[in-house]
Order: sequence, then C-alpha cells, then structure tokens
Amino acid sequence: MYLFDLGHLPGHQSMLVFHTLARMGIEALVLVSPESPLGSVGYFQDTQKEVDLEFCRRAKIPLMRREIGGGATYLDQNQIFYQVIWRKDNTRLPQRIKDVFSILSEPACQTYRVFGIDAHFRLENDIVTEEGRKIAGEGGGNIGNSMVFVGGILMNFDYSTMTRMLKVPDEKLRDKIFRTMEENVTTMRRELGTVPPRSEIISVLVDRFSRVLGRLTPGNLDRATLQKMRELERWLASDRFLFRKTPKIPRGVKIREGIEILYGLYKAKGGLIRTVETVEGSRLNEVEISGDFQFCPKEDLSRLENSLMQTTFERETIQGRIEAFYEKEEVETPGVSPEDLAEAVVTAKP
Amino acid sequence: MEIEGYQFPDDLYYHKEHYWARIENDTVVMGATDFAQKLAGEITYVELPEEGRKVDQDKPCGSMETGKWVGRIYAVASGTVIEANEDLEDTPELINESPYENGWLCKIAPSNLDGDLKNLMQVEALPEFIRSEIARVEKITSGKS
Repeated sequence: MYLFDLGHLPGHQSMLVFHTLARMGIEALVLVSPESPLGSVGYFQDTQKEVDLEFCRRAKIPLMRREIGGGATYLDQNQIFYQVIWRKDNTRLPQRIKDVFSILSEPACQTYRVFGIDAHFRLENDIVTEEGRKIAGEGGGNIGNSMVFVGGILMNFDYSTMTRMLKVPDEKLRDKIFRTMEENVTTMRRELGTVPPRSEIISVLVDRFSRVLGRLTPGNLDRATLQKMRELERWLASDRFLFRKTPKIPRGVKIREGIEILYGLYKAKGGLIRTVETVEGSRLNEVEISGDFQFCPKEDLSRLENSLMQTTFERETIQGRIEAFYEKEEVETPGVSPEDLAEAVVTAKP
Repeated sequence: MEIEGYQFPDDLYYHKEHYWARIENDTVVMGATDFAQKLAGEITYVELPEEGRKVDQDKPCGSMETGKWVGRIYAVASGTVIEANEDLEDTPELINESPYENGWLCKIAPSNLDGDLKNLMQVEALPEFIRSEIARVEKITSGKS
C-alpha cells in the first residue's frame, strides 16, 4: 500500500484525491490538509437546503459534494485528513462497515493519545475525548471497486465559519448551534493549549497506521493520477453534482453523534408552530417554541419551555407535561391544543 | 433456508454482491439480502434508480447510507427500471425490517433475463458462498491475514 503524504493541497484537491485513487483501484494512505477552505457536503445531503450559499459565496468558500457519508462540514488548513483506500477484495483490511470504523479509527485515537489526549472511538463513528467531546469526524463509502475511509485530525477548528456555513431556518439559531458545537466539539489546541508541529503529528499517524495497514511505500501522485483528478474534478465540482436531487431532508444539525439541534414545524388551526430542540440521545434537553399563533399570557411561553427541559423524547411524556402545564397555568392558545404543541415537538424527532 | 442465522427464501435468485432477484411474470424485483442488511446496519438513506433508467447487471444502480458509510446498490439484472420502491424514501429502515418483502428496492423489465439468471445463484449454492463471505468479513477481526 502506498503512502501519499501530500502536505497541503487546494481545498477541493484534498478531497478529490481519494475519489480518484479509489476509482483507479490504487491502495493508499493519504495524509493531506486543505491549504484553502472548502465546504464539503455529504453524498445524501441537499446542498441548497443545508448550506448557506450566499455566505459561502461572499466568504469565498467553494463547495464540493463528496461520495461518502456524513454531514456538511468546513475544511481548512487546521485539519489533517487521513484517507485510507483499499480494494474491496483485499481481505487484509476490514470488509464489514462497523469493523472499518472501529479498526481504522484506532491509529488516529492512538495519535491523539501520544500527544496526551485520551481519545477513543465511539459508535456511531466519531472519535471523542474522555469527556465525550468529538475530536474527529469520520465517514466512508464504496467508490468504484474500492472502499474508502476518511477522517480528520482537528488541530484547531473554526467554529464560527462552520456555523455560518450552515443554512438555518432562523438566524437566531446560529448562536445556539455555535454554543452547542463549542461545547461538544474539541481540538488539539483546546485540549493541549497548543498545537504540536504538523510534521510530528504526521509522523505518529504514519507509524500508527502502518501497524494496521502493513508496510507503507512512500510515493507521489503520478501523471496519470493527476490527469484523472482533473477529469474527475469536472464532475465532482460541477453544479449538476453539487445541487443534484437527494432524498435527504434536513431536519436539524448534528453537532456530534448523540447531540442534535432539531427543527420542528407544525401547522395547527391557530397558526404555525416552530420549535428548536436540543436533543441528546433519547432526551429532550431543551426546546424553544415560536410561531404565529397566540399564546396568552405570552410570558408563560418560556415557562412552558422550561417545563419540557430534560424530558424523555417521546410523545406521551411531552404531551403529558404540556397538558399538566395548561391545567396549572390556565393559558389560552386559540386554535392550538396541547396535542398540537406536542406534535410540533415530536415532528422534529428523527 | 437459514444459513448461519441469515434468512434466504428458497424461491429467489441471489447476486454475489448480496442482492436478491424475484421473477414475477416478466419482471425482476430486486432487493438487499438479510445478510447485506445485517452487515450494513441501520440504513438511513436510500437512492434508487429512477423509472425508465437503463441498468446493467453487476453495475451500481443506486446507493444507501448507513452510519456515515455510503454503499452502492448493484443491479441483479440488465434492463429498464419500471418502478422504484417509493416507501424507502421516507422509511429506508424497511430494508432492515423486511428485506424480502416491504423493503424491496426496484423492479426491472429485463433485457436478457435468461443470460442474467445464469450469473445468479439459487439457494442450493448459497451455504458455501455465504460461509466463505462470513469468513472473508471476519478475517480481519480475528487477526488472520
């Protein structure tokens, strides 16, 4: 298997490389950082619905859809991507998806540990610190006759740009997404107070990956590969591919595995009910309710929201809490029943 | 037939990429096998070929996502897609829950059915194949190479 230690490449090329090698059936470990920013959109995502295109245009962040899974993410020079490409008939490497993630995450976990960060792999498919903060997102897929696994070491992370890049139904939500992301995603800089030299991180990654992948032969991308990359770029960077119709309907933002900010929307007789919910596993941590319906007295709305904090995310419990609140507080919501409010909250449920 | 805990109905044809084919009059109905769905885990998104699209046996004709992994769907027969299972757009988990019934993927009007069937396995050939596939996927985790 080859080792392509490519240093920094223009944003889109840093992602094009694994698509190209996979199509060519070239087995390799690629280590690369984007030298310029890139917005990367997951294969099943609807770019127009998930990404703030106007912001990306103004901030000069090009977008590219990748052929592997996961959500929209912001890539820049503060990340080191490890990309493993192997032919699907190579039985020395994992074939079962859960094995791919658990086995091939281990070199990155060990790399973090070498630098003093106690990181480990957690289902479904993040690397997290001891405190449960995500420190690497990962994804993969079958491309051509190859399997591809990609992850990124977060030396540092631009939470602000990442948050700005996402399309949200209400601008007020951005701050919430930013705060939740800051609480749940961490970096080497935050954990260590400093970032180790990139060359040292690369050296450890190569050593740890070689223990799983076997001997790695250093190489450079040859002319045929570069030519194939240029050809592929025309398709992968095309508007047709970027804005293709997809079945994935955005219903929120996944901050890390287990924590999501979800949007609920429900049309009741008395008006439209909107919710923004922070959900952790099966628990509704908090909810904000808005819309164009009447809620009297309106000061009680935040108390209703408080009564739903830390609730089991299931209809019966939520509706029970709302009904209890109505009984106790004697609020009036013409055309909006407790059932409607409960429906608005649970429609956001995955 | 049950093989190592995986179900394989006797009346189907099987593709080596773990998709099944059922012949219904002049139509081929295809889906993912129990082995495929268990190997994949919870399926969250599915992209199926549109009606009217020409597909080739053994070639990718769609995709599905499971746990941030995008896998390809391979056509079991060549021909023209006449229907895709629209229910899967909202409920892709049907593939996990009911791989041989409600979780079917698409229907194909075959262009070379007799030829294509020769490349598919019938249930009698499956025990050896499935056991070799299990050995293949488990090799890495058992430390053998």
